[in-house]
Amino acid sequence: MAPFKALELEYPIIDSNFQTFCASHGILSVEDFLIHDLYELAAFAKQQPTSEKLEQGITQILSIIDEQHQPWVNGMELLDDTLHRKHVVPTGCEGVDLLLGGGLHEGQLTELVGPSSSGKTQVCLLAASYLASKHMGTVVYLDTGNSFSTQRIAEFVGRFSNHMFSQAGHRNFQKVMNNILCHSVFDIFTMFNVLHQLEFNMKSQLQKGGQVRLLIVDSISSLITPILGNIGSQGRALMTSAGYLLKKLAHEHNIVVLVTNHTVGGERGIPKPALGQIWKTVAHVRLLLSADHGNDTRSISVLKHPSMASGKVARFRV
Amino acid sequence: MAAKRWIDGDETAAEMLSRVSSERPFLLLPPLHRVPLRVGNVVELAGPSSSAKTQILIQAAVNCILPREWNGVHYGGLERLVMFIDLDCRFDILRLSEMLKHKIMEPNGSMHDHEELFAACMRRFMYVRCYDSLEFLATLKTLHHRLKREKAMHNVNIQLLMIDSIGPFHWVDRGSTFFPLGSHNRKCLSLQSISETVVQEIRKLLVLHPMLVIATKEIVLGNVYGTDGAKQNKYMLEASGIRSITSSSQQLPYREFMPPIWQSLITHKILVRASDDHLLIRPDQENSLYLSEWLLPSLGYQDKFVVKDAGIFVVS
Repeated sequence: MAPFKALELEYPIIDSNFQTFCASHGILSVEDFLIHDLYELAAFAKQQPTSEKLEQGITQILSIIDEQHQPWVNGMELLDDTLHRKHVVPTGCEGVDLLLGGGLHEGQLTELVGPSSSGKTQVCLLAASYLASKHMGTVVYLDTGNSFSTQRIAEFVGRFSNHMFSQAGHRNFQKVMNNILCHSVFDIFTMFNVLHQLEFNMKSQLQKGGQVRLLIVDSISSLITPILGNIGSQGRALMTSAGYLLKKLAHEHNIVVLVTNHTVGGERGIPKPALGQIWKTVAHVRLLLSADHGNDTRSISVLKHPSMASGKVARFRV
Repeated sequence: MAAKRWIDGDETAAEMLSRVSSERPFLLLPPLHRVPLRVGNVVELAGPSSSAKTQILIQAAVNCILPREWNGVHYGGLERLVMFIDLDCRFDILRLSEMLKHKIMEPNGSMHDHEELFAACMRRFMYVRCYDSLEFLATLKTLHHRLKREKAMHNVNIQLLMIDSIGPFHWVDRGSTFFPLGSHNRKCLSLQSISETVVQEIRKLLVLHPMLVIATKEIVLGNVYGTDGAKQNKYMLEASGIRSITSSSQQLPYREFMPPIWQSLITHKILVRASDDHLLIRPDQENSLYLSEWLLPSLGYQDKFVVKDAGIFVVS
């Protein structure tokens, strides 16, 4: 947030007199203003010879900070936004779509939890290919472990769109593949970088291709786990910020956000989702994947859902 | 001067009457029904994740935005404004609208011809989401002006301020402390100064706009396997093929993470959690069983409740 000096150009009422007055109370920026007692400040301003102008300055800054938070909306507006701008996006995986009543929700953060080789990456690749094949929009895929497989994507895309071998089919295939943007990300700071860039591009409509509908981070836990071991709160702070950034992108730009998380051994050897209690509260929907022994069937069950009882199970093949 | 102001009085009889009538204690729907709550109270609703906290808020909000009466039909609501500050950013408006529709349909049988009532109720529900503590502070600082505008527009008073939940930015704020530069008396932005300002702003708002504040708080119960972990672990158990081992321990210790200044603001405290009993007794039952217990004032007994489409029902 801006220091007052920078605001002077745009708002002439925040003049050097006002700045000196605020500085004498230890207020140099809009941030300082936020943690200061404004009633007390207004009372001090009244005692000054230029009280009228100072009070105008305080009102001006109040209207600036009114812009710093998300706008208030009433229930009707919020309902309208949910019904008309937050669609359900199918994943192309029948079991998952049936279980979730159509697919993944725009505006929500969905987390896939499961041990290794339980099909997490497969579901991600499948969802990306399906969305791109059906020309529903662009997919941004953050790959953290070199598990993004173009062959697998091409296979899925071929399955979803017919006549691959004709001239038109080939052009279509290229178009579909161009709508899946993969970024290799190996640490959380790079992820913040990519996500902030994405947010900026979407805000200023610079994003290449069509509208971004699906954002995948496979896997989020491999980015967060290395920073959690630190003594102190930095790791948890970064984890919380990452969760909020993903939820903000999901809500403000109507995107489906899909992240994957691995499992770790809990007490008594029972596997539980990694990243602990703080992360547990972040996602809207949490799904557990597990592999059946001896065949390629996977089962998926709801651990947490805003409008569904947990425990529902579906099976599918990879 | 001060003495004269004191003698002059500061409200008319009509103003006093409306103030007193709005400050009367009112009973909320279960499980908040055990203790009479007044405007000016700050209730903390603590519980682990998925313990029906937001459901309780939604139920209270629906009761508040419904009118007492509409076209001769009794709804028993309060016809007041609800301000909902979403810090978890997980609120689903569909849950609120479904419950509201349910309440409107109860005496009528259908939603037909009640769209107008539905819309009027929904407009009394105000919502904002905050992605960090600074946004939360900016919201609180400008809430007074916002409330004045809303009151004038709807011509009704605000009854409830809801915060769902307090404290999700705890770790971010703890990590973002920096040393103030440029001025010797500059306050530094830290967990401490942020919580102080939040509490101070809520106190000031309560003076200017008498209302009830309900804030949820996500906690981690000490006995993870007996309580909040139970549901999740049950499925984990099934998935991993290990048989469930029950825990009968009843103590509820949880680590308090909110600073003392927040503790000094709250006047009432209730603890809710999912019960693990029912998983063993009635595993096929649709509705989960929850427990609620007043910690402040300490009542020493628990209510059991279930969540259905129509709302929350006490089953003890």
